[in-house]
Amino acid sequence: MDLLERYLQSVGEYLPARSKADTLAELRENLLAEMESLEEELGRALTQSEVAEVLEKHGRPVLVAARYLPQQHLIGPAWFPIYWFTLKKSFPLVVLAYAVTQVAAWLFQSGSHVDVGAVLGHFPAVALIFWAVFTLGFACFEYAEGRYFHRVNFSRAWNPNDLPRVEPAQRKRPSLVSRVADAVMAAVGMVWLLALPYMLLGLRHMREMPFQLAPEWRIFYWRMVALLGMQLALKIVRVALHGSEGWRNGIDIAVQVIGLVILAVMVQAHTYLVPGSGAGAMSVQDLGILNTALNMAFKVSLAIAVIKMQVDLWKRFFSSRTGNNWFAPVL
Amino acid sequence: MQPTSQNEMFDSLRLELRRGCLILAVLAQLRVEHYGYTLRKALADQGLEIEESTLYPLLRRLETQGLLTSEWREEEKRNKRFYRLSVRGAAVLELLMAEWNGINDSLHRILEEKAVKKER
Repeated sequence: MDLLERYLQSVGEYLPARSKADTLAELRENLLAEMESLEEELGRALTQSEVAEVLEKHGRPVLVAARYLPQQHLIGPAWFPIYWFTLKKSFPLVVLAYAVTQVAAWLFQSGSHVDVGAVLGHFPAVALIFWAVFTLGFACFEYAEGRYFHRVNFSRAWNPNDLPRVEPAQRKRPSLVSRVADAVMAAVGMVWLLALPYMLLGLRHMREMPFQLAPEWRIFYWRMVALLGMQLALKIVRVALHGSEGWRNGIDIAVQVIGLVILAVMVQAHTYLVPGSGAGAMSVQDLGILNTALNMAFKVSLAIAVIKMQVDLWKRFFSSRTGNNWFAPVL
Repeated sequence: MQPTSQNEMFDSLRLELRRGCLILAVLAQLRVEHYGYTLRKALADQGLEIEESTLYPLLRRLETQGLLTSEWREEEKRNKRFYRLSVRGAAVLELLMAEWNGINDSLHRILEEKAVKKER
């Protein structure tokens, strides 16, 4: 029976100390009873290989021991759907928070250049830490639930009347991912606009270029920065907003209107570029044509944006009359 | 569908189907006192084979839940752990049996209905 003792010893390695002796004594008795029954059937003592066969059939020690332990899981089936849903919903917010902190860090560390590779390379570690902390939080909550506070009954604590209204498939509002992507792109655009003067000053041959930025830039540049900042703030609010549809629509309209005002500011500027001071400077006449073309491009963009906004407002009016309160953002 | 995956799927569904039934069978069988091995034999004699590695931990779990009681006692010059249905276990068994009978009747009706439609 040396093999049986070796088997029990192996099972015991995976059992908790407080119940180990008791479990092994019971297991020994059951296995011995089985072997004795087999010996009675055969009318002789079991051979080593027959004992091995009984033990093999009983199972690998680590798995046998695991069955005596309380059922273990990091996040159980009751909480897993909530965990997975929350993880999926909060991940885009992590991306947004990371983008905003990187932009803020760059803004407050004046003079430093943005190492895009390092910023992107650092993100997987941030995402992994977020996942680990998030999972640990859920695991701790599940462990404490029932031990330190009452179990949460999710199946009862909900009201079907709180469900959102049906939105037609072709008119669904932008998903969380697209709203976050929109906010991130707005943040990147803002960074680019803020970096523009430094980038231009950093160009050694700027004075030798055939044209320079017009003095009007000093006025409409800061207007654009202010307007884009407002637009970015609204887009960030829109990401986190889970309130009424009215608020969402209001923000969408505000974002659209700011977009129109930005284009209007650019249209008002008229002169964007002036001749450079270098030898190869463009003539005033050529730059006049270029400025007119740029101004025309902004006017066309403004006209398209106004038409688009009117179409969206009409759709909104139409859908509200048919019971669907919907509005799609343009910018 | 590949035969192997079909077999695997059948095994998985069979396991799921048996899981709840085993608890009912064990509780019912333990209205009479048994220790692990004799309980397994008694169930097998009535056509319900259970692996040792499934049955013995199950007994511990049911005892922890208060549905069984156990005591170590000497029998045939060896100490054995005998299990028996507790008072609470007996009450739960009654409820489970009523549930089982309800499910059984419903399934019979559903399966007979299908069989009749097939014959037509």
